[in-house]
Amino acid sequence: MPRWLDPRAWWRRVRRAWRSSLALRMISMTLILSTIAAVGVGIAIDLSVRQSLLDARRTQLVTLSQNATISGQRYFEVSAGQGDPDFETVLNDGMRAIVNAAATTLEGTSYALLPAPGQNVPSEFANVVSPALQFGVLDAVVSESLREAVAADEDGRVYSQSTGLPRSSGGPAPAIVTGSTVEIRGVRYELYLVYDISDTQQTLSTIQFALAGAGLVLIVLIGVVAFLVVRLVVGPVEVAAATSRRLAAGDLDVRLPVRGDDVLATLATSFNGMAESLRGQITRLAELSSVQQRFVSDVSHELRTPLTTIRLAGDVLRDRTERFDPETARTVELLHTQILRFEGLLSDLLEMSRFDAGAVEMEYDRVNIARLAEDTVSSMTTLAEQRGSELVVIAQGGHFEAEIDARRIRRILTNLIGNAIDHGEGREIEVWVDSDAHAAAIAVRDFGVGIAPGDLERVFARFWRADPSRQRTTGGSGLGLAISLEDAALHGGWLEAWSAPGQGSCFRLTVPRLRGMRLAGSPLPLPPEAPASDEARDAVTAHGSGGPR
Amino acid sequence: MVNARILVVDDDPALAEMIGIVLRAEAYDVAFCADGAKALDAFHAERPDLILLDVMLPGLDGVEVCSRLRAESGIPIIMLTAKTDTIDVVAGLEAGADDYIAKPFNTKELVARIRTRLRPVTRPSSDTVRIGDLELDVIGHEVRRGAERINLTPLEFELLLALALKPEQVFTREMLLEQVWGYQYKADTRLVNVHVQRLRAKIEEDPDNPKLVTTVRGVGYRAGS
Repeated sequence: MPRWLDPRAWWRRVRRAWRSSLALRMISMTLILSTIAAVGVGIAIDLSVRQSLLDARRTQLVTLSQNATISGQRYFEVSAGQGDPDFETVLNDGMRAIVNAAATTLEGTSYALLPAPGQNVPSEFANVVSPALQFGVLDAVVSESLREAVAADEDGRVYSQSTGLPRSSGGPAPAIVTGSTVEIRGVRYELYLVYDISDTQQTLSTIQFALAGAGLVLIVLIGVVAFLVVRLVVGPVEVAAATSRRLAAGDLDVRLPVRGDDVLATLATSFNGMAESLRGQITRLAELSSVQQRFVSDVSHELRTPLTTIRLAGDVLRDRTERFDPETARTVELLHTQILRFEGLLSDLLEMSRFDAGAVEMEYDRVNIARLAEDTVSSMTTLAEQRGSELVVIAQGGHFEAEIDARRIRRILTNLIGNAIDHGEGREIEVWVDSDAHAAAIAVRDFGVGIAPGDLERVFARFWRADPSRQRTTGGSGLGLAISLEDAALHGGWLEAWSAPGQGSCFRLTVPRLRGMRLAGSPLPLPPEAPASDEARDAVTAHGSGGPR
Repeated sequence: MVNARILVVDDDPALAEMIGIVLRAEAYDVAFCADGAKALDAFHAERPDLILLDVMLPGLDGVEVCSRLRAESGIPIIMLTAKTDTIDVVAGLEAGADDYIAKPFNTKELVARIRTRLRPVTRPSSDTVRIGDLELDVIGHEVRRGAERINLTPLEFELLLALALKPEQVFTREMLLEQVWGYQYKADTRLVNVHVQRLRAKIEEDPDNPKLVTTVRGVGYRAGS
């Protein structure tokens, strides 16, 4: 079954629309209630009109039957005086006189002249029944109760009853049957006249049709009125919703128009008050933030100037080490390394505070990432060689140009390679580069001891260090990976870590190839080579906060 | 040969003195000025070959001092800056500084930057080089369009000369940083961008639509189109 035919899907869609649209709810409620009211009123009107119409008709027909009975009776009395011997002829002629007196409708009047039960009938053809009532139809049309009432009649009254007259096509036509008694040559006869009242039904149908039409027009009108009213009320509410959306999106200057003095105006006034106070708060926070940034910037200047002096002094001393005794020389060396460390810490801290203040500027440029990786690797080859590690760049095919901030990507890479050298146990270090149409990736893989599974989650945390007892050469600040993660996130990229005990670890950086693109996946697997052994499958993968979820 | 004279404009006495010690060890003559407002007077009085200029100065800030110096001289100016944020660096470069050194720096960096600025690197074989309708007098460090002389700072001249000597070649920003500024691999491409803009403003008929120094998208710059 196609999706659009699925009734459950439709049901869900309708429910969603119902829940989400106040206007839809209000209009449909109004329509449903007014439809119920209109149908109720319609039915009541229909019933009362039908009743009075039928009553009037019945009264008219009963009177008619009365007159017809009287004229029939007179005929029979006259014919009795003339002494006509043929009873059947008398019956038929009398009947014709009755029918002529009773004929009203186009369809004509059906009739039956029957001897009353228990009478002595002179001939076997002693009754007259019109064609429409022959062959048992009479019994269906004239009910038993009517016949009993007529049979029991003593004062020449006319009885009537509603009934249905069978038609050649369709259901029975509505009809009224009247019953009365006549005496023909001393024999008591029952006279039944059946009037087709289809014309009355026709009138009734016309009235019903007009009623339904009027009801429908009324409901449509009510719908339109409801729509207008809802527009009047829901319209401002929707404006308020749109305005708060814009406010939430950061447009702090939007306000609602205040019109009149009603509830909506009160809503608008309080909304505007809220927006005003919000703007005040945000402006205050922004000011605080800029004060903070200025402070960081000032601290930076104030700290860096004396640090430069110290650094220069340290350099001058270090250039003259050969003039010092061994202990002083070592002191100068320690001074020098700690100045470097202090410098690194200061710059990392300032970088971190810049991230926190949101005061970072990206300088996007189209850069060949394979070349960037090679440049970075070649600048670190000396350091790697001192630790016995060989740096290998594995650049696979692909689109190597990516729109990135080269300084930040280089910083990430330097940090990752530095970490790999520190923890690589002097083994080879692989730098993988690959890209596809949407993303570029660089992975740094070492084959050292790896990171303990529990620690893998924490490698991106600030000031976290792997195994404090282990020796460090780069003397990092403990902020390196945190900064790298921020740098990756600024690109809309991911920085992910993988490690397996004894097999080393791998950090993979993935950035979109073009600024603002969303990452869906990485061109490089993590780790870059397919894990061959069973232990590798047990390896843990951690994502930084900029990673995919 | 007379030692090159360097004017250090910095309000921090300790740093200024330390820079003095380092530079004297490298056999430079050093003069000091601690106030931005007096920097121009010091420049006139000392007639230095190069100026080290701190960005944050009392009296008159470094960027302003730089543009005033630039207005009357093409003397090499190296800014000393504690702020490496784009705006601060670009403001200094746009004011006409040839190069900048971010604090904290070490003696090697300082000396290397000064040496590069004091000794032009390119030594062409011919005396005049042509680029478009410009004529570069290599010995006289002069650029002429017909009879009109165009004033370029030594750095701008170096930059133009480097491009003009190899008109066929496209220079990446890194190549220019190495050739003109003497950087090995630590590259701040903003240096190149800003100076190409300044150079274009001086030599191009329409700087927005450059004909002499053109950008090769994604790569760098070249002479001509």
